[in-house]
Formats: sequence, C-alpha cells, structure tokens
Amino acid sequence: MRYVSLQKDKLPQFVNSLQKKYKVVAPVKKENLFVFATIEDPEEVELDYMPTILPPKKYFLPQHEKLGSFVKDNVAMADTNIDVEPTVLFGAHTCDIEGIECLDIVFHDTPADPYFGRRKKSIIIIGYECMKPCDEYSTCVTMDTLNPRAGYDIMITDIGDKYILYINSPEGMGIIGKNPIFGKVENERDVKTKLLKLREDKVKNFKVQIDADYKELNKIFGTSYNSKTWQDVGKRCVSCGNCTAVCPTCYCFDINDEVKLDMSGGKRERVWDSCQLDEFAMVTGGENFRKERSSRQRHRYYRKFDYSVKKYSKFFCVGCGRCTRTCMADISLIETVNELAKEHKNAK
Amino acid sequence: MSQSKNKKVRIALFDFADCEGCQLQVTYLNDQLVGLLEHCEIVNFREAISERSDDYDIALVEGSITRKHDEERVKKIRENAKILIAYGSCACIGGVNGLRKKFTQEEAKDIVYKGREFPIDVGEPRPVHEVVKVDYFIYGCPTNNEETIKALKSILIGKGYTPPRYPVCVECKLKENVCLFEKGQVCLGPVTRGGCGAWCTSYGNTCYGCRGLLDKPAQEGQMDILKKNGYTLEELKQKFETYNLCRMMGEQNATEKS
Repeated sequence: MRYVSLQKDKLPQFVNSLQKKYKVVAPVKKENLFVFATIEDPEEVELDYMPTILPPKKYFLPQHEKLGSFVKDNVAMADTNIDVEPTVLFGAHTCDIEGIECLDIVFHDTPADPYFGRRKKSIIIIGYECMKPCDEYSTCVTMDTLNPRAGYDIMITDIGDKYILYINSPEGMGIIGKNPIFGKVENERDVKTKLLKLREDKVKNFKVQIDADYKELNKIFGTSYNSKTWQDVGKRCVSCGNCTAVCPTCYCFDINDEVKLDMSGGKRERVWDSCQLDEFAMVTGGENFRKERSSRQRHRYYRKFDYSVKKYSKFFCVGCGRCTRTCMADISLIETVNELAKEHKNAK
Repeated sequence: MSQSKNKKVRIALFDFADCEGCQLQVTYLNDQLVGLLEHCEIVNFREAISERSDDYDIALVEGSITRKHDEERVKKIRENAKILIAYGSCACIGGVNGLRKKFTQEEAKDIVYKGREFPIDVGEPRPVHEVVKVDYFIYGCPTNNEETIKALKSILIGKGYTPPRYPVCVECKLKENVCLFEKGQVCLGPVTRGGCGAWCTSYGNTCYGCRGLLDKPAQEGQMDILKKNGYTLEELKQKFETYNLCRMMGEQNATEKS
C-alpha cells in the first residue's frame, strides 16, 4: 500500500488524529499573509496558501538554539542534548520540502550537525502539492521543484473530488496505519497514472519566467562574477537581511556564549545570521571581506546558483519566490537572473 | 574589567534631561538585579535608593546634556568613572529633547514658560558623547532590559559591548511581522538601528527611530523605497525628527559650513 484516499471534509479529522500524538505545525493566516504555526484547532489550517513569511526551516534550525552550557572554571561543554517534541510539519509545499533537503545535505556533511540531525528525525513531513502557481515571483518550474520528489513522509494531492495521499516512508505508513478515515485505493497503478497525467497538465498553468533552462543556469553564473548587474543590485539593496531570513536554504548562523548574571556559568547559543549584514564578513582588526552591498548580494546569488552546484551538485534556489516577494527595494531574482542570462548570451 | 575577589564593581546611575523612564526600566529588572548584585553594588540611583557616592567604577548616564551646569556635572562623572555608558535615547542621540532645536532659546522659553518671571536657564540639548567621551552605548526609548543585561554582562567580563549595526527590519522579519510598508504606513525600521527586537512593530506600531539612524544607511536604496511607496524625504524626515533632530541639525550645519 503506497496510496490512500481521503474525503476532503475529513481533512480536519486527519489533523485532529495527528494532534493526539504530535505537535502539528501548519500554514495559518497572519493578516493578508501566511505563517507556519502550531495548530490548536484543525480548522486553522490553510492549505490554499501563498508561501509563508518564513519557511519551515525555523523548525529545523531555530532562530535561537541552545547548544549547551558551561560552568565557571570548567570550559567543557555540558548539557548538549536537545529534546525535540515529536512534530508533524503539515501542508509543506514541494519547494519548501526541497529547501529542507538542501539543509539536510549541508548539516549532514562532515562533521554532521547533531542538533539539526535530532530535529530532522523528530519532524514528520506531510507535503501538500501545488496545483496552481502562487504568484508571479515563484520560479519552481525552472528550478524543478514543482512536483514532489523526495524528502517527505506523506504527500497530499488534490485530485478534484478527494485527496490522494502518497506514503513515502515507514513513518508515513505509521501515521496512516489502520486509521479508518482513509479509503483504500483499489488499483495503485491507475492512481499513479492519474497523478502523472495531472502533473503533466498542471505545469501548463505555470509560467516559465527565467529565460534560461536549469542546465544553462550554472554556465551563466560561470561568466557573471564581474557583471555590472551586481552594481545595480547593490545600489538598490539596503541590507535589511530580509532575503536571507526568508530563504528556505540560507542557513548561516552565529554562535554566542551568554554568561549568567551571577557569572557562575552560561550557555552557548546558535542564532541566525545573514551575509547581507555589514558585519557578517568583518574580522578582528576591522577588515571586511564584503564591504560593498553589491558584493554581498552577489555572494547570496552565488550561494544559490554556483557554489552549491560545485560543492553539492545542487542548486540552492528552490524557486519559492520569497526573496523577491519580501524585498522592499524590489530586487527581483527573476530580473537579476534574466539580466545575467542576457549578458551571457550577448557575450557568446 | 578586572576586579579583585572581594571588591564588588560599583555602579552609579545618573539622570540629565530626560523622563527617567530608562532608569525605571532598571527597576523592572526584578530578580535579575539580584544576580547582578552578586558582583556589583549600586551606589547612585536616584530613582530607587537614597544613598549617594562619588566612588564608582561604571556610570550609566541617562538623559541629554543641556545646560552649562549639566556639562560640568557630566564632566565630573567622567572623571570619577572608569567606564561611562550612555544609557537610553536621550543620552545616546539626544532623543526627543532635540526637538528644542527647532526653536531659538527665546522662542522655546516663550512657548513653555510664557509669563514666568524667574530666570530660567536653558541650553542646547546634546547627546552625552558630544560633551564627554562615552565608552559604550545602550540605545532605546526606553532601553530594552534584555539588551541592558546583555551589555552589562559583556562589559563586566571585559568583552565590551557593540550594539547591532543592522536595521530594525532584521529582527522584525524574524518575528514574521507583515511589513508595514505593505500596509501603507511609513515605518522608520529600514533606517533605524536594530537591537530592540522590533518592539514597536511587533505590537502594531510603526518604528519611530528611537535607536537612531544607521551608521551607514543606503541612501539611494532608501530613497527608492520611499518613492515606490509614495512618500517624500520630507515626510520621512518629519517623522525622524522626533528622536533624531540633534544628529539631523548637526549634519545640516556641517553641510552648510562646508
């Protein structure tokens, strides 16, 4: 059994059954936007949602994370275990799941990060497939993150009259189990064919916005390091760090030791950092390796389209469109990449 | 800073032209004060204790410096203290007292004390560092206790304290607030020094710029943002004046002179 069906009106019941065993985090409304938050009432869940303000990375890499503690006169770190409440991340889009996959690669690279590993193991991911584009900023078609691939335990697809749930892991199977709210799928091959057809059709509704295909992107970045585009982007950037905070694959952090007020000891804490901030690349003595906003923006793009490809054979842009959506200065990923693509073509 | 095993670090709080709200914040530290007092003693704190002393290591100076008399007093404090911390917006950037600079001394006297016969001594509001050397700054109106504690701890262990150099937007986005510009409001967050934890904007208010202008604002980029949202520089300046007129007038004078 890899597929089950669920009547649409039974969805709250499904969420409710999850709540009995897990903390459930799902998209909810916040003013005119959406955020991932812990669900009290299953009715709060908004499956028809725009990408949330922050991506679900906040559950895998918290903004403030205690790494351990120390006492006076003993430098050894203690108390390094973390307890993570068993959690279900419900309704994650495929782009966000791909973002978690990127983090997974980074944090499992040697030396593996035990904190991330622990959280990853404690969070079950139930995805929700997008059937229509969210807005003009997303580039999931080009980045090839539109359809479910890997990195989830269960994927929910709306096939019109009901949902089809694809079970992708033993944990996912454990959740579906013998819960009577799910319907049996008579012919799994038929369902599979139906889903494939659905995906072939739905992509027609998504506009391709980047004037280069997946394979060309890396070549374009190979010749764009000194492009004047970076000056233009740098002039507009105000270094608010919003683009990195909202990016599903930005994982840079800082580590701070906080002593207790009575000075008897303290704790070590990991906090989110951003390469867009002035002091990010500043070292002792005041030297700053990326003083200009243009070089910081370029760095961000290269981390998504070039360095990660060299290191992990993977683009670290998942096409969610958040960086463009959130930018007060209207710096658009689509425009920037298209500008580079144009220059690259003309130079040939 | 170094300290012998038995001697506690002596901390003194002083106020100048201000509302004393930042000192009040210290009283709200509650049980955190107890931890602090393991290693420190407070020897001057008009808001909370009656004792006075001129023997102290760290001086937290609240308020902006205005009259001649205040100047002398703060210079004396500087002489006595090993470390001087400008504490709160009035001390760090002049704060709301800067609004006095919109008027001449005579006009200001006339508006506030019209008809009073006794002589009133008024002066030019200035942030503390324009009068004496300041070692550390704790910004905010009022100051944020979380930051105050963090700064004091860092200073006590000899690490010093550098406030964030990034704008309020950084912390605001981490709180997942809907951007106020998107809601059609003028927010000073993009040009204001962060570190407050996006206090005002997380509770539905705009940022008023109480922590002062960023050291290196992106002028062109900021102007674009204003234009895009249909605001003029004048409108932004007007809002910024509330806390930042000392710096704004200073820069204006500097430009006129050059």
